[in-house]
Amino acid sequence: MGNNVEVEIFETPLPGIGVRYEFDTEIGRRLGVLVHRDGHRDMLVYCEDDADSCSETVRLSLVESASLVELLGGTKITERLSDLRQEVQGLSIEWVSLDDQSPLAGKTIGDGKIRTASGASVVAVLRGGESFPGPGPEFTLQAGDTALVIGSVEGVVTAHKIIAG
Amino acid sequence: MEIDVALLELGAMMIVLATLGRLAYRFGLPAVPFYLVAGLFFGDGGFIPVEEASAFIDIGSSLGVIFLLFMLGLEYTPMELRQSLVANRVSHVVDLVANATPGFVVGLILGWGPLGATMLAGITYISSSGVIAKLLVDLGRLGNRETSGILSTLVIEDLVMAVFLPVVAVLLAGESAVAGFISGLIALVIVSGVIALPARVGHRASRFVDAESGEILLISLLGIALVVAGIAEHFHVSYAIGAFLVGIVLSGQVAERARTLLEPLRDSFAALFFVSFGLTVDPASLVDVLPIAVALAAIGAVTKFGSGYWGARHAGSTSRGARRAGVTLIPRGEFSIVLAGIAIAGGVDGDLGPITVAYVLILAVGGSVAARFVQ
Repeated sequence: MGNNVEVEIFETPLPGIGVRYEFDTEIGRRLGVLVHRDGHRDMLVYCEDDADSCSETVRLSLVESASLVELLGGTKITERLSDLRQEVQGLSIEWVSLDDQSPLAGKTIGDGKIRTASGASVVAVLRGGESFPGPGPEFTLQAGDTALVIGSVEGVVTAHKIIAG
Repeated sequence: MEIDVALLELGAMMIVLATLGRLAYRFGLPAVPFYLVAGLFFGDGGFIPVEEASAFIDIGSSLGVIFLLFMLGLEYTPMELRQSLVANRVSHVVDLVANATPGFVVGLILGWGPLGATMLAGITYISSSGVIAKLLVDLGRLGNRETSGILSTLVIEDLVMAVFLPVVAVLLAGESAVAGFISGLIALVIVSGVIALPARVGHRASRFVDAESGEILLISLLGIALVVAGIAEHFHVSYAIGAFLVGIVLSGQVAERARTLLEPLRDSFAALFFVSFGLTVDPASLVDVLPIAVALAAIGAVTKFGSGYWGARHAGSTSRGARRAGVTLIPRGEFSIVLAGIAIAGGVDGDLGPITVAYVLILAVGGSVAARFVQ
């Protein structure tokens, strides 16, 4: 089996509790996550001999499951963002990637006059594995950076044009 | 009302409740049957008379039912109800037929007439959502494959009650069969309406109710639940169902906060409700009806296991999983008591009370213990 094959995840609604997700691993074990309605997760490890029942159920808080995801090689920022997006209506959030053609590559955030033109703000910059939260106007953007822009829907579109063209 | 005596009566009752509750907790058993037992110690035929506090207990136990059902409604979203309705339809019918029939037949044999028999049918049919949901959590079985089937069975049973109660409430009030039919129809329309409610309507209603202060939110929720319950009761739809439907409509963060805010209220008043039901039962009469109750409980355990097992097999569980599902569904609890309370208030034979107490006692405790042993 190739490593690029996506895992088939089964989703089961549990009325009154939340949603359960499960999948079978390549070596034949079954793993699952139960997302409770209050946000906490149960990590489920199914029995080897009885695929219908769990041998281990570990309760994880939101923070703990985010840490586990990070250890397993995911990123917790995307999830946080999708939460944020759901909560605040009319707020737009976008990742803007810069390449060497981008107008602001090699220039500072202040040079783009993003805030004046669009009302939107660059609230963080990701560079390589590093993150720069709350960059000031003197922060110089580079090709390869990813800027996190927050603002109104139109504002973010305008900011996207200023930063990435 | 002599306030000092009333306070002493209530306090003594709470202390007995707490003591029995602790005992139940130590053995990992549901508290509800023990509250019923506590009620036996008081009132008619009990050791401690309850007179001064009885007015408060009466209204308090109605509040207990409202909070129980309101929070049950909060557990479910219309979408979950829709999904449960669509899935495993056949097994829900099997569940209804297999478990309501014994109660109905026994009710007829006891000479309670069709209406009394129908009430007993409801009592033998409905599993305890409260006891079973807690069992699943305690035994760490939320992840199990058969759990979704168990939960959807509970959901459907609660929904069936939402239509069943208004019908029998009208019939018990002495109205004609036609009036009962109309009431059932109205209930069906209202329940379907609530289930079909698009999520955004629920969200909008919830946002309207929401308040930053927990205190204000709590008072708002109480006001709405009580007003709707009162209106429902006025039209003989049963106040319990009114509260249940309000709970279903509320969703999202408000529902989440409401659960936290209302939990202590529900626990206190529901305990009062179970005790007050026990109060109406004379322990001596319990002994008289014991053979009938034991027979009903034995049949009820077998039919519930059978329908649960069949349903889980039908949904693709292994026989082990199906066995667990069958046993887990055995406990009966709060809803059976609610039904019996309504039946007795409506003038059904007095033996219904002690039979239901014994039935729930045997199956809630026996079922919970059995669920632990079936791996």
